[in-house]
Amino acid sequence: MNVSKILPYKKQTLKSFFTFEFTALNILMFWLTIGLVTTMLWGIGAYLVQGHHAYGVTRQHAWGLLIAMYVFFVVSSTGLCIMSSLGHVFNIKSFQIIGKRAIIGAIITILTGFAVIAFEIGHPVRMVIYNVLTPGLTSAIWWMGTLYGMYLFFIILEFLFLNNDNHKYSKIFGLAGLVVGLAAHSNLGAVFGFLVARPIANGVFFPLYFILSAMVTGSYLLFLIYGWRYKMDFPPEVEKFMVTLAQVLGLLLAILMFFEIWRALTAIYGDMPERGDIARHMITSKRFLIGEVLLGMLIPFAIIVVSKGRAIKAMVYASITGMVGIFWMRYDLVDDTQLAPMLPLKIREYLPAPGLTEYTPTSVEWMISIGAIGLAFVMYYAADKFFDLDHKTTI
Amino acid sequence: MARYGMALDYKNCINCKACESACKEQNGILLGADYHRIWVGVREIEGIFPNLSIGSSSFEPSQCQQCDNAPCQEVCPTNATYYDGNGVVRVNPDQCILCTYCMQACPYDARYVDDRTTTVDKCNFCSDTRLIQGETTTACQATCPTKVRIFGDLDDPDSEISKVLRDREYRKLKEHLGTRPKLFYLT
Repeated sequence: MNVSKILPYKKQTLKSFFTFEFTALNILMFWLTIGLVTTMLWGIGAYLVQGHHAYGVTRQHAWGLLIAMYVFFVVSSTGLCIMSSLGHVFNIKSFQIIGKRAIIGAIITILTGFAVIAFEIGHPVRMVIYNVLTPGLTSAIWWMGTLYGMYLFFIILEFLFLNNDNHKYSKIFGLAGLVVGLAAHSNLGAVFGFLVARPIANGVFFPLYFILSAMVTGSYLLFLIYGWRYKMDFPPEVEKFMVTLAQVLGLLLAILMFFEIWRALTAIYGDMPERGDIARHMITSKRFLIGEVLLGMLIPFAIIVVSKGRAIKAMVYASITGMVGIFWMRYDLVDDTQLAPMLPLKIREYLPAPGLTEYTPTSVEWMISIGAIGLAFVMYYAADKFFDLDHKTTI
Repeated sequence: MARYGMALDYKNCINCKACESACKEQNGILLGADYHRIWVGVREIEGIFPNLSIGSSSFEPSQCQQCDNAPCQEVCPTNATYYDGNGVVRVNPDQCILCTYCMQACPYDARYVDDRTTTVDKCNFCSDTRLIQGETTTACQATCPTKVRIFGDLDDPDSEISKVLRDREYRKLKEHLGTRPKLFYLT
């Protein structure tokens, strides 16, 4: 069987694979990637030896940084898929150039997400077996996992057909990937939204917010991917796309801020126990104010508003702060959900009754989580080497 | 088949923690404060000396509430958590993938990670250690010096628990969440 017929790829020798232009930025990126991947491997090693004891998770705060990072990566994936579908599913002209690069980004980020969650789920192999043998159909995690599996399958097919310039089938699988991706991602929101025991998370907010914030994340990533690809020297059609992207992102950020404001007001109003107190703690924290609001929303939004979306180079830099903000959004989502202790009474002598639960990620958790970004870089580098990800200038 | 529940005459509790020890001994629960199926919660005396409200202090023995509509069972992606024939919420460790979603969903903090099996564990009314051998009590009930716990079949009108629930007022924990707990705190 000739693979190149099904999936045309550029042949590489070992030497050509590792050859890249020796610019300062490339060398910096090379060492950054090596550093991140090494860090991840080190973290994985520690996890394999110590299991969950290597993490800072506790009985009362059972989900930690790895869950946040899993959400971070799969949100990125869904976001890239949604934004790319604007072009080749919904035929918005200026978005048509991003197809392959965005979809390979979506594949890479979801694979990275799966890699991270594999070190959080205690029995990943058993998961695959019993997901099929004894499916828990009332579980949002079951639906999320199963739909994400289907989603990955569809977007791989979509990439395959895009790579073959078969736009009929790429559109069909693009649409399938989009619909299943939206279902999977809103189910991920429901993993938190369905928690009746936790009033701060329970409700319709998260399934909707996840889709919206995915689109914001996808936009930031597209700025970064294209900023890196063209090293800030954009051809006209890419520049046109990026200006449109900035304007769309401005609208998305405005809606996101609107969502966040009403979420906070509804949560605080009435001061309902385990909701009002948690919300007040949440919105006065530095993580929220500096991380989520300033870095994640205000800085990029201000640049878009002031420049009317034309400052695309500034937006590439602002997307770095944006992604840092998105990271804190995911962290806060996981942490805030678990802040209220389910058992408010003290159960040990000489200790105070629990106020809010406490969680600090351990170095192993940081190593696996942040190191996973390096894994995504490696996969992107390889994809860029093996596939022609650029658009055809005739589009 | 029965429908097991437990009534707790919790105002008789003296916080001796014999129930916690008996549970660990009977069920082989690992030593260490975080590994526990059952516990005694302490509500401390309120007020500032000398105006202390002695009546505010109480001990609240607790554990899995064996909900009829258990959130932990509903969220389990592999059906590792299930209701057995006696209405007891149990975990099959062979099916548990340790996603800990049940620990998020349980409103009572009744679940923990058991390092014997690296899966999530919880109270099962000693189903696999005592009831299966024909015993009619749980370890915590059998050991309690002040007879706080009354375990039995809620469907049997002649059982001690059914009688006490007919005669006494009781409350349940976080009932508003729709979990329909089968632990009854006698007031």
